[in-house]
Amino acid sequence: MAPNTPAIELTDVTKSFKSLRALDGASLAVDPGEIYGLLGPNGSGKSTLIRMIVGLVRADSGRVRVLGRQMPDMSVLAEVGYMTQQAALYPDLSIVENVRFFAALWGREDGVDAALEVVDLGSRRDSTVATLSGGMRTRASLACAIVHQPKLLLLDEPTVGIDPQLRAQVWDSLAEMAKAGTTILVSSHVMDEAERCQRLALIRAGKVLAEGTVAQLKKKAGVSRLEDAFLKLSEEPAA
Amino acid sequence: MSARRILALTRRLLQQFRRDHRTLALVFVAPIVILSLVSYLLRGDTTGPKVDLVVEDSAQAAMAVAAEVETSSEIAVTRTDIARARDDLENNRISGYIRLPAGFSERVTRERVVAPEVTVQGDEPGPAETVVKAVQSATGAATTTLVQGQSPRLEPAISYRYGGPSLDTLDYFGSAFIVFIVFFVVYVVTSVAFLRERTQGTLERLMASPLRRLELVFGYMLGFSILALLQSAVVMTYSLAVLHIHNAGNPALMFVVVAVTALMAVNLGIMLSTFARTEFQAVQFIPLVITPQAILAGIIVPISSEPAPLQVVSNVLPLTYAAYAMRDVMIRGAGLDYPPLLLALGVIAAFAALLIVTAGATVRRTVG
Repeated sequence: MAPNTPAIELTDVTKSFKSLRALDGASLAVDPGEIYGLLGPNGSGKSTLIRMIVGLVRADSGRVRVLGRQMPDMSVLAEVGYMTQQAALYPDLSIVENVRFFAALWGREDGVDAALEVVDLGSRRDSTVATLSGGMRTRASLACAIVHQPKLLLLDEPTVGIDPQLRAQVWDSLAEMAKAGTTILVSSHVMDEAERCQRLALIRAGKVLAEGTVAQLKKKAGVSRLEDAFLKLSEEPAA
Repeated sequence: MSARRILALTRRLLQQFRRDHRTLALVFVAPIVILSLVSYLLRGDTTGPKVDLVVEDSAQAAMAVAAEVETSSEIAVTRTDIARARDDLENNRISGYIRLPAGFSERVTRERVVAPEVTVQGDEPGPAETVVKAVQSATGAATTTLVQGQSPRLEPAISYRYGGPSLDTLDYFGSAFIVFIVFFVVYVVTSVAFLRERTQGTLERLMASPLRRLELVFGYMLGFSILALLQSAVVMTYSLAVLHIHNAGNPALMFVVVAVTALMAVNLGIMLSTFARTEFQAVQFIPLVITPQAILAGIIVPISSEPAPLQVVSNVLPLTYAAYAMRDVMIRGAGLDYPPLLLALGVIAAFAALLIVTAGATVRRTVG
C-alpha cells in the first residue's frame, strides 16, 4: 500500500434494502492514522456504510476500497477490527474468555492482556459478561475488536448508552491507538463527540453532505457551532 | 385483577399472530398434514407382511387350512417349498413362513390338535403378531367346518429368528427410541444455539473476522458433537443398565450408531438454523422436520407395514436408517460384517456430510 493511499475510499456508493435507499451516492476517503467521524442522525446510513467496509453489505453500485484493496476481499478482514452497535459478546462467558475467543480467530492470543489494559478491564477480566453494566460491556466489546491490533478499526456508535466519564475514557483509548498508527472510523449521532475526530463526514439520508475538519465544516456553513453547520448543510444540495 | 389489562394482552397477542404468517401457517397446516399422514399410514392400503406358505401334507385338513391362509387379508402369502422359505427368511425377503408339516391332517383328526409351524423374523413386533393372528383365524375357520363336535386345540409351534417370546414391547421399540431421542434433543439444542449467535449479534462479528463459513459450521459440528457423544453414552448406559432393554449386539457398536446419528442431528440443526431468523422459528421446524420422521422412520409402525408410497418416503429419511441400524445391532445382534448395518451407517454418515456442506453454503456472509 502506497503511503498516500487512503485507508478507506468509497466512491459514489449506493445500496437499497427493498424500497429503502440506505446509501445514495456516498463518497468519502479516510487517511491512514486518522480518527475519522461519521456524524449523522439515526437511520442516515452510518451502519450500512460501516458494514459495507467490512464486506457484510454489498454495494449495489459504486466502488469500495479498503487498505488499498477492492472489496469484497476476505484477506482485508485480517487487518480490520469491527465493533458492532450492540455490544455483541457471549453473555455466559467471562470478559477474558470473550477476548481470548476473538483473539484466537485472528491467531493473536498474545494480545489479550494488552487489549484488556487499553479498555481498563484488567481487574474485572474474570467477570461474566451477563453481570456487567452497559459501559463495561461496551469496553469489553472494544477489547474484542482491538485484540489483534488491527490497522483499521471500525466502531459503530461505541459510546451509546455509556456515561460521560466512561465516554471520555473510551475516546482517550482511541486517541492513544491512533497515535500508535491505527486508522479509526467511528460513527456517532452525538455532535460534541465530533470535536475528538481529526476529520469527519456529515451524513444524512444516505448522502455525504460534507467532509472535512470541524473548523472547515463550520467555515463552509458560515456558523460557529457544528450542530448549526449540520442543519445548514442539510438544507443545501449534497457536496 | 383487571379485565382491561388482561384483554389488552390478549389483543396484543392476536395482533402479533396476524403479522406472523409463518406461525399462522404452522398452527393450521401442520396438524392437518401430520394427521393426514398418520391416517394414511394406519388406514391406507397395505398388503400386510409377506409370508411364505409351505404345505407338506396333501390330506384334507391341511388343504383346507392352506386355502384359508392363502385368502387371508392380513398377510400376503406365497406358496413355496421349505428350502426356498428358509432362504427368503435368511435374506429378509419375508416376515416369516408358515409350514404345515407331514402328518398335519392326521393330528387334527386323531388328536384334535392343529399344529402348524410358524417361523418369524421377530425383529419387529408388528409382523410377527400379524402372522400368528392370521394363522389362528385361518385354522379356526378351516377346522370348524372339518371337525364335528368338540373343536380342536390350536397349538402352533412358533419360533423366532431373532429375539423371541421373552422380548417385551420396550425391547422392540427401545432400540429405535434411543436413536430418536438423541436425534431430537441434539437437533433442538444445536439449532437454538446457532440461532443465538445471530440474535446476540456475534454472528455479524464472526462474519467480519477471517473465519470462513465452512470453518464456522465445522467448529459448531465438533463442539456439539462432543456434547452429543457424552449424551449418547449416558442414554445408552441408562437404557441397558437401568431399563435392561434387550441387547443382542455389541454395546460399542450401539454407541457407534448413536454417535453417527447424533452427528447427523448436529448438522441438521446447523443447516436448518441458517434458514431461521429467530429462535422461535428454529423451534417451528420441529413439526415440519422432526415429526414426519418420528412417524415414518419405522419407529412406531414397521416400514414393511406402511402403504407403498409412504415406504418410498421412509426410505429417504435419515432417521429411518438410524432406526434400522440400531435394530440390527440390538435385536439382530449384527456386527460390522453384516452388510445392511454397514449400508445404514454409510447412509447416515452421507446425510451428515451432505448437511454440513449445505450448511456451509447456506449460512450467509452478508446481512443484506
